Amino acid sequence: MVVHYKCPNCGDDMGFDSQSGMLSCHSCGKKDNIENIPNEFITTTFAEDEAKEYHCKNCGAILLTEAETMATTCSFCGAGVVLADRLSGTLAPSKVIPFTISKEEAMSAFRNWCRNGRLTPKGFMTADRMKGIIGIYVPFWLYDLNSKIKVNALCTKVRTYTRGDYIYTETKYFDVYREINLDYIKVPVDASEKMNDELMDRLEPYHYGALKDFKMPYLAGYIAEKYTYNDVELLPRAKSKIESYIDSYIRSTITGYTTVKYNSKRVDIRKRHAYYVLLPVWMVYYDYDKSEYTFAMNGQTGKVVGTPPISAAKVGMWFSGIAGIMFIALRILSLIIGGGL
Amino acid sequence: MKRHISISIALFFTILFFCMIILVNVTIAAPYAGQRVYDFADLLTVDEIGELEAISAQYSAKRKTDIVILTTRDTAGKDVVQFTEDFYDREALGYDRPHGNCVILTVDMQHTEVYLAGFYRGEKYLDDNRLDLIRNKITPDLSREDYYKAFKNFIRLSYKYMGIRPGINPDNILFSLWFQIIVSLVTAGIVVGIMAYNSGGKVTVGEGNYRDIDNSRIIQRRDTYIRTSTIRHKKPSTDNNSGGRISGGGGVTTGGHSHSGSRGSF
Repeated sequence: MVVHYKCPNCGDDMGFDSQSGMLSCHSCGKKDNIENIPNEFITTTFAEDEAKEYHCKNCGAILLTEAETMATTCSFCGAGVVLADRLSGTLAPSKVIPFTISKEEAMSAFRNWCRNGRLTPKGFMTADRMKGIIGIYVPFWLYDLNSKIKVNALCTKVRTYTRGDYIYTETKYFDVYREINLDYIKVPVDASEKMNDELMDRLEPYHYGALKDFKMPYLAGYIAEKYTYNDVELLPRAKSKIESYIDSYIRSTITGYTTVKYNSKRVDIRKRHAYYVLLPVWMVYYDYDKSEYTFAMNGQTGKVVGTPPISAAKVGMWFSGIAGIMFIALRILSLIIGGGL
Repeated sequence: MKRHISISIALFFTILFFCMIILVNVTIAAPYAGQRVYDFADLLTVDEIGELEAISAQYSAKRKTDIVILTTRDTAGKDVVQFTEDFYDREALGYDRPHGNCVILTVDMQHTEVYLAGFYRGEKYLDDNRLDLIRNKITPDLSREDYYKAFKNFIRLSYKYMGIRPGINPDNILFSLWFQIIVSLVTAGIVVGIMAYNSGGKVTVGEGNYRDIDNSRIIQRRDTYIRTSTIRHKKPSTDNNSGGRISGGGGVTTGGHSHSGSRGSF
């Protein structure tokens, strides 16, 4: 089932507009409020058949898609189409954060980011070799996790004082116990096999205030993927993500001691909910010095992540600059203290 | 064009950095006529004497204080301190004037004793403690009969310590050139490393981002006092007695010149 949004006024292709947050027509400017479009396809269950051929509703050409693709643009006529049966039943996302950064804004934000790179080579900074920029709705699981924690620790308070000719070191021992209920909500874990987990983690935070109930028109004009891993498969990753958070929360509850030694730490993490959401990401492909670099930009906040090339000349400049200044500072310091070279 | 500028800036800083290092070690040659090495005990070769004279002339001029080496096999019955004082009085040593700024290292082969004395500027900058430091550093070489090395070290250390304001520990690691170079390089390495690491965007979410403030709390807490243990140890004594020192410090010569000193055997 292919859904294609045609403008009721002029018949041109409609797509999601990140400025207004509405479904809009580029030709006549007609804007439709997405909230009012009924969810007819999502509630209907289609038979899942990945070998099925999809035909563009606009021009009739065969749509070449991968099994994970939920939304794409027709490679012949360029119309944004949504593959509705891949969004149905258990595969239907519950929420979506729409793009707030348009393609033009994304490109200029990326150029800005390149210019500010303190270690990137000069030729890279001009950002004139952008090979491609694609707006993708990346599938994420948002976990609500509840942790029940029981911690037992041996803590000490150390005090030193001098009396007469002796220095006394007094150590007081305490048995410390904490029982904590800790909730982390909407912890995002990227569910697409194609996306680099480390890159996606660095894209955070997304502001959840903009989470909308999922409607298909949000995807019009963008690429969307369905999840490759379900919420049960990704739960261990979600747990490992909050482990360091839990540790730092526990630390923050045990204060005022000189040393803390944990005797036992029982952490029981349970999944309360997992929401399937689509989060907006601009993928930027960039050619520099015969190799391709991939960057990701948070489609909501504009934060850019990715590994840029590093210029040896600039590293050398910063290194010798800092070393030189530091050395001069140390010499001046020793001059002030010692009075002479 | 811009690329050229950045490379030339990099070059400039690199050169500046190495210039600073070299500058510190450059000595301004200001030869000064007059004897500073009195090797009556024949511990040195002619060449060695020549070299020591040259080094001493350089450093003496920079500190405006004569750095003198005196060796003997016969003190004519005198104590090494008395021998040094009399030598100073008789030769009227001094950089600025007769009986002026001077540091003397006396090696008495008869009694295998060593004595260091500082006069005027030498006394001010090389007090008993600093002379002790120098003596402790050169004594192993004297015992090994490596006199040339010991004397060279004496000249070098006297010069170095006279460059540091009196009353400050001259062996403080902050004054060490190597320490300064290493600290500069390590700091720059860490800073650039962090910059490179963060060039691909850093993690900006933390513990607080996803925590549900309303439901996260301590349900039960207990801090039970168990016991106290107290350890006591004696305060370290404040006077630092150096091992080889026989009788403390300096004195006044027969001619009325006050001096600092450090004495020991080797």
